[in-house]
Amino acid sequence: MLCLKALMHPTPPPTPPPHHSHPLRVLVMADCPHTIGVEFGTRIIEVSGQKVKLQIWDTAGQERFRAVTRSYYRGAAGALMVYDITRRSTYNHLSSWLTDARNLTNPNTVIFLIGNKADLEAQRDVTYEEAKQFAEENGLLFLEASAKTGDNVEEAFLETAKKIYQNIQDGSLDLNAAESGVQHKPATSQPGRLPNDTQPAKDACSC
Amino acid sequence: MEAIVKDVICAEDLLKFEKKYKEEEASGSLSKNTKFEYAWCLIRSKYPDDIGHGVNMLEALYHDGPAEEHRDYLFYLAVGNYRLKEYEKSLNFVKSLLKKEPGNTQARELERMISKKMQRDGLVGMAIVGGVVAGLAGLAAVAIGISKSKS
Repeated sequence: MLCLKALMHPTPPPTPPPHHSHPLRVLVMADCPHTIGVEFGTRIIEVSGQKVKLQIWDTAGQERFRAVTRSYYRGAAGALMVYDITRRSTYNHLSSWLTDARNLTNPNTVIFLIGNKADLEAQRDVTYEEAKQFAEENGLLFLEASAKTGDNVEEAFLETAKKIYQNIQDGSLDLNAAESGVQHKPATSQPGRLPNDTQPAKDACSC
Repeated sequence: MEAIVKDVICAEDLLKFEKKYKEEEASGSLSKNTKFEYAWCLIRSKYPDDIGHGVNMLEALYHDGPAEEHRDYLFYLAVGNYRLKEYEKSLNFVKSLLKKEPGNTQARELERMISKKMQRDGLVGMAIVGGVVAGLAGLAAVAIGISKSKS
């Protein structure tokens, strides 16, 4: 099974992060049986001429990881909920994931519904219309994508980043709020902090 | 992978899972999953004692658990030992996992990181030993010089 995360480490390697970017914390919720707990990846995306770094926390959807992975939701500026269009059981998870995503993230967190394996049309178990309607009813962005062919994967990350930036610009997402999931790089290093404290994961821990 | 091994749990979360564990333990209905959750949180603590405790719990879970759960325990045993700077142990756990799942990308990445770390530490160690040897040789030369000048 190919998860969306398969494309998070593209070859050749992504361009190095630019100097003045604000990394965005993005959460991926996917029923990916191969993932152990949580995976981390980064992606550089260009939004209106500015390079933006996405820090992607990919949480395995398995029940045994769920209680602990919930703590990774905090501080996410965007969340991608990924189901498999060929397995209805993965679609049936969505309402409980959505509840978690809504309860544990900022009210302005961008939530994107993604139907993966769009290349397997013959095995489709969830119609486009049904998922589209679910997305509309819940105010989610929606796309069908394929991690295997790469179709719409870049678009999903790009749309997420664009929407987050839109929220920042219209003021609904505060750049400086610790829980907003947007990490503002301090102009000077803060005194008295251990080098490890500058790790993104720890910065995002909002307690 | 670096973000995963350096990820530190916040106190609030650690306490939450500790409480759940203690409550279940007290009522005599401690579930395996609660043990795993608490162990996973402990190895992400900033305190080495917590990490050590989490590692011990994961080892017990590994010995008692069914084969399909082994991958989770092995991976976090590797992460916990890495955080304790027990790189050799960490490498052994990740190698056991890779023996079962040669294509596991998380394990591969972790293996690469541990090897790099060991190589770097090895070089630093050699430099220190080298420095000591050079220092001793210097002292010996001085001593010989003194004894010669006395004679």
